Amino acid sequence: MIFDVAAHSLASKKVLLPIEQLLGDCTGSRMPEVDCGRLNFGLACQAVAACPTTALRLEEQNGIRQLVLDYGQCTGCGNCIETGGGALRAAATGVPSGVARSALIRRWDADHCSEFAAQQVAMDTTARKIRALLGRALNIRQVDAGSCNGCEAEIGALTSPYYDLERLGIHFVASPKHADMLLVTGPVTRNMCEALRHTYEATPSPKLVVAVGACGCSGGFFQGSYAVIGAVGAVIPVDGYIPGCPPTPAMLLTGILQVLQGRARNS
Amino acid sequence: MSQQGHYSRNSGGIAEALALLKAGNSRLVSLFGSIEDDGTPSVHYLLDAEKHEYRLFGGQVQGVLPSATAITPSASWYERELHDLYGIEIEGHPNLQPLVFHEGWPAGVHPRSGCCNTPVSGEYKFLKVDGEGVCEVPVGPVHAGIIEPGHFRFSVVGDTVLHLELRHFYTHKGTEARMEGMQVPSGVMLAEAVSGDNCFAHAVAYCQAVENAFDISVPPRGRALRLIGLELERMIAHITDVGALCGDVAFAVPSAYTARLREALLRASTRFAGTRFWRGLCRPGGMRRDMAWDEARALGECVAETARDFAELAQKSLETPSVQNRFETTGLLKRDVARALAVVGPVARASGLRLDVRRDHPYGRYRTLALDIPHHSSGDVMARARIRIEETAISARLIAQAIEEMPSGAIAVPVPWQASAEGFSAVESPRGELLYFLRVRDGRIQRCHIKSPSFQNWPALPMAMPGNIIADFPLINKSFNLSYSGCDR
Repeated sequence: MIFDVAAHSLASKKVLLPIEQLLGDCTGSRMPEVDCGRLNFGLACQAVAACPTTALRLEEQNGIRQLVLDYGQCTGCGNCIETGGGALRAAATGVPSGVARSALIRRWDADHCSEFAAQQVAMDTTARKIRALLGRALNIRQVDAGSCNGCEAEIGALTSPYYDLERLGIHFVASPKHADMLLVTGPVTRNMCEALRHTYEATPSPKLVVAVGACGCSGGFFQGSYAVIGAVGAVIPVDGYIPGCPPTPAMLLTGILQVLQGRARNS
Repeated sequence: MSQQGHYSRNSGGIAEALALLKAGNSRLVSLFGSIEDDGTPSVHYLLDAEKHEYRLFGGQVQGVLPSATAITPSASWYERELHDLYGIEIEGHPNLQPLVFHEGWPAGVHPRSGCCNTPVSGEYKFLKVDGEGVCEVPVGPVHAGIIEPGHFRFSVVGDTVLHLELRHFYTHKGTEARMEGMQVPSGVMLAEAVSGDNCFAHAVAYCQAVENAFDISVPPRGRALRLIGLELERMIAHITDVGALCGDVAFAVPSAYTARLREALLRASTRFAGTRFWRGLCRPGGMRRDMAWDEARALGECVAETARDFAELAQKSLETPSVQNRFETTGLLKRDVARALAVVGPVARASGLRLDVRRDHPYGRYRTLALDIPHHSSGDVMARARIRIEETAISARLIAQAIEEMPSGAIAVPVPWQASAEGFSAVESPRGELLYFLRVRDGRIQRCHIKSPSFQNWPALPMAMPGNIIADFPLINKSFNLSYSGCDR
């Protein structure tokens, strides 16, 4: 009976995670990061060779050999961690989320074990600041423009009692006409391209667009396929990028708030 | 091909396959094309013959291909896909409209132009239902919830649905073509991106196809870890589905509570396997990451506790009269319809068809297990909910047993993949029979065909709609819970 179900639920203990614990966290995302103390040119080459996309690459600037890691292309396959001789490890924090496309890229000096000035912006994590950022509410319309549903599975998890996005006044709405933000997963397929454009046009201005996942950020594995246009940014203007394959709920939350903070700073 | 039950290649040509289908005691498992070295297209029919034996038939297409749809409607979408992707003319198909291509598909972008390439046209005509008071209701591709894109066209009188027609393939990414030319080990990553919520089943199915091709046996510990991953994925999928079914009848408490149970399992996966959805854990030859004894035991405790909690909640939810009122007799899929469309997975088992790859064509650790597979015959939303609830309990028991009896030793063996071979594998994914056919040439994927249970089951959904009210569509759709991306690839 209905009351038995309610009683069962009420008897369970609270699982809600504090916001402070979630911001910046990327545990379980399989995203790599460089262990500066162990990096050398040989290991960097091995890691680059193991990367199935071009997320990891070597570039030379002003005579300095740089190891470049583009989180927007990284699918978290783990090959670089497996073959990089300890120079790469699974990241628990430090993966940028909700930033410009260029800010998803981190660079390390491949010979001298140091990171080039990261463009990361610190999140203000106090609950009061977050509420101030959101005003009364943020309405999000999620659009799947061709994803494998991995990103949807994680976006859906944001409404679970662990994350409870509604506590911040963030709602997922049923129509783009009610939305302030479009949360778009990709890759944008040929067959979804027009529907994505229409959805964007149906969203009232001012509006924010966030591209989600490796495919949404860069087209991922499907860049170049006959059936795919590419990243979300190839079809509609994007305000912020959330990497990951798929991004964890914590990365999604961080990214959504980061986009708002960037917007507040620029306006 | 000793790895999976009975499987026979080269069972015969196209005519033999059609004759067997006509005889009526074989199930069409898949029908797909390939391009031979000389540029001509071939077609392959995979049938599940009596006594559960997978048999592969096929041959080159000379001119037009006689349609199998006239014999079994389950061939319809396969032949439309062949027509779109390979330009093969199908003779006698009752409705050879585009499946993969939509309006505005640019001329010349034809993925697999064979010898008899037809011009691509995405123009599609929906069946027009005429009569007094008949209205059309178009829904999608962008839906109201956090779900994948697809188009549904309802013809209704008042609230009552007369006819539903599907238009899918909005998420068609050309995945099979994308895999071609890749080195064999890299194919796993694409397999994991076919249907993200069933990524581990896809990874295992792909890896088994590689292992079968090169005649490799995964060590017992690797097999046990795979079973844990597969059954955990099934639990997560079924718990999510039951919660979503409750959500679709506006019963918010179990809906929220199951979201919590699901997240508990995902967080436990993160702690003990390093990833929430077991992505990146499977490799040809076995597994990439071992689980220490105490980690496995802790995961097992979380699984057992979640299963107990879910069983209690689900039982109480199904005892609620308003849930019974909405679930029972809704979205009826009759047994003969399910059989004609060769439906698989929980949907088939809820309509009285006794099909489960784990029992019928056992693979990996399932080969040594006696499985108790639940069945129901009422074919309604309630039956599909009950199947999922019962299977969740069984999955939890299988995980507990695998952890209890965890063999020691290696988790993987090397696979000599830098050669040429052909392999095939089937896995019972949470949605049903999932199949990979793989042809390797000098270590690179020459052809990989993915038959997802969703591709098979989508055509059955419209059969469960007529006579129901349109407001019950989300509920009925959720009770099938099919993957759009898995279908579209």
